[in-house]
Amino acid sequence: MLEAVHGLLASVGVGRDELERIVVGVGPGGFTGLRIGIATALGLGQALRVPVRGASSLEALALGLAEVAPPGATLAPALDARRGELFVAAYRARGAGVLQELLGPRALAPEAAADALAALGSPDAPVVIGGDGVAVAGPALDAPHLVLLPAGAAAGRVRAADLVRRVEAGGERPAVPVYARLPDAEVNRRRALAAGGG
Amino acid sequence: MASGWARGPARLTGRAGIRLILAIETSCDETAAAVVDGPEVRSSVVASQARLHTPYGGVVPEVAARQHLGTVNAVVDEALDAAGLALDAVDAVAVTQRPGLIGALLVGVATAKALAYGAGKPLVMVDHLHGHICASWLEPLALDPPFVSLIASGGHTRLDLVDDYAEPRLLGSTLDDAAGEAIDKGARTLGLGYPGGPALERLAADGDRKAFEFPVGLAGRTDADFSFAGVKTALLYAVRDLGEQEVGRRRADLAASYQEAVVRPLAQRLVGAAVDAGVPAVALGGGVAANGRLRALTAEFAEPAGVAVAAPDRALCTDNAAMIGAAAQFTPPLSWPRYAGADAMATSPPGGIAA
Ligand SMILES: [Zn+2]
Repeated sequence: MLEAVHGLLASVGVGRDELERIVVGVGPGGFTGLRIGIATALGLGQALRVPVRGASSLEALALGLAEVAPPGATLAPALDARRGELFVAAYRARGAGVLQELLGPRALAPEAAADALAALGSPDAPVVIGGDGVAVAGPALDAPHLVLLPAGAAAGRVRAADLVRRVEAGGERPAVPVYARLPDAEVNRRRALAAGGG
Repeated sequence: MASGWARGPARLTGRAGIRLILAIETSCDETAAAVVDGPEVRSSVVASQARLHTPYGGVVPEVAARQHLGTVNAVVDEALDAAGLALDAVDAVAVTQRPGLIGALLVGVATAKALAYGAGKPLVMVDHLHGHICASWLEPLALDPPFVSLIASGGHTRLDLVDDYAEPRLLGSTLDDAAGEAIDKGARTLGLGYPGGPALERLAADGDRKAFEFPVGLAGRTDADFSFAGVKTALLYAVRDLGEQEVGRRRADLAASYQEAVVRPLAQRLVGAAVDAGVPAVALGGGVAANGRLRALTAEFAEPAGVAVAAPDRALCTDNAAMIGAAAQFTPPLSWPRYAGADAMATSPPGGIAA
């Protein structure tokens, strides 16, 4: 993580103490990866005394999809949520980093994701789906009005520059992880309470 | 090895010019930061998550990792403020690298790396157990080697011979449960909450420690290893055989007898190891070192053997970051980019706990 930051700063000839703020992707995504990214950003911000802003990884991905989607298309970023699920959301691009949310971020099984997204599409306005969640979903996303970005497509990756664009367009989030899931122990505890009438 | 690094007498400070240290500890359920200046603790802040884990009856790794991330920056700020220092003023950043809950460790390590990188400081990756041992080096205890160290906590139980703080030598460890884990499990069996140590000790104070005879792990063996699985199971059977009513009546006796069976071998083997090694002192560390019966028993065995007993303050026995700052002064520091690839590890390498 830090090596990437170091390499980037070196490549553009910017010293770390010249930074004025830091933007970090807050997910949703893998718990451990999110924590490492956010802890790194917060630690750097603390050491350099600059503010750290968060941006949604799904929203940043949607900005990337907007570059390859036909005008008027619905943008549906899909990230691997593990356990066979996807983190999905749907947006319409409103220009210059601005997004209108059509479907809020959630973790869904592939079939449920296909249903939710297909409902947003029409013959003249397809739903363009991209991100590493496409590969997880497999054939489940093979539904009318859904257009899948091939796995590994550049527009299917979350780009740091798009995180910055989201923040500049007013889409700033707190620099805390969006887990979109409770810890298993908490899920189990609630289940036991419900079952035991506690 | 980093240049400028040399092992030397234990009380030497300022190795490689590094003695003013910001240390971070997130290996389990305490988020801690401290500033140490040589053996002096300038500040030590511990944000305990214990209550957060109480509903689960034990530490939940995912819950711990989430909480560390939400807390660690504020705890670092507080430690620097209390020491009256800015980050730029310290010589190095130190962090617990291992052993512990990997998700929890990763938060501390990522934070420490970023702080070190941002401030242009070296990073020292410290072993948590080395930290517990080096807590004895901190003032006001400032214990001089050689001595035998007992570290007993919810996660660890081990004896080390410390000739040099830079190179503790393992004498023995638990073959199954840690002592603190045995105490927590016993407390649960007796219907006490989590964490169970203090509650068990309070209950035991009113009981007869000879009322029940629980097996002592590895009794009769002369080596320095421990075992607590047997005594834990014996308590379970005793509670089952006595029945609810009788258990209710004799809970204090059960607690006292059980506590005795756990802490007696700790005290016995600790003092025995010092006598065998011919060293004049023993030191207690880890959360279980707060147990009054362990301290009393250790003194009882040590006195006739002519062995001195030392224990840091309770706050330095339980998990804290000052001890990490202490051990950092006996660990080679890493400069950028050497620490970029240094990762958190769930376990310590078999080679030992000093880097
Ligand atoms: Zn510990």
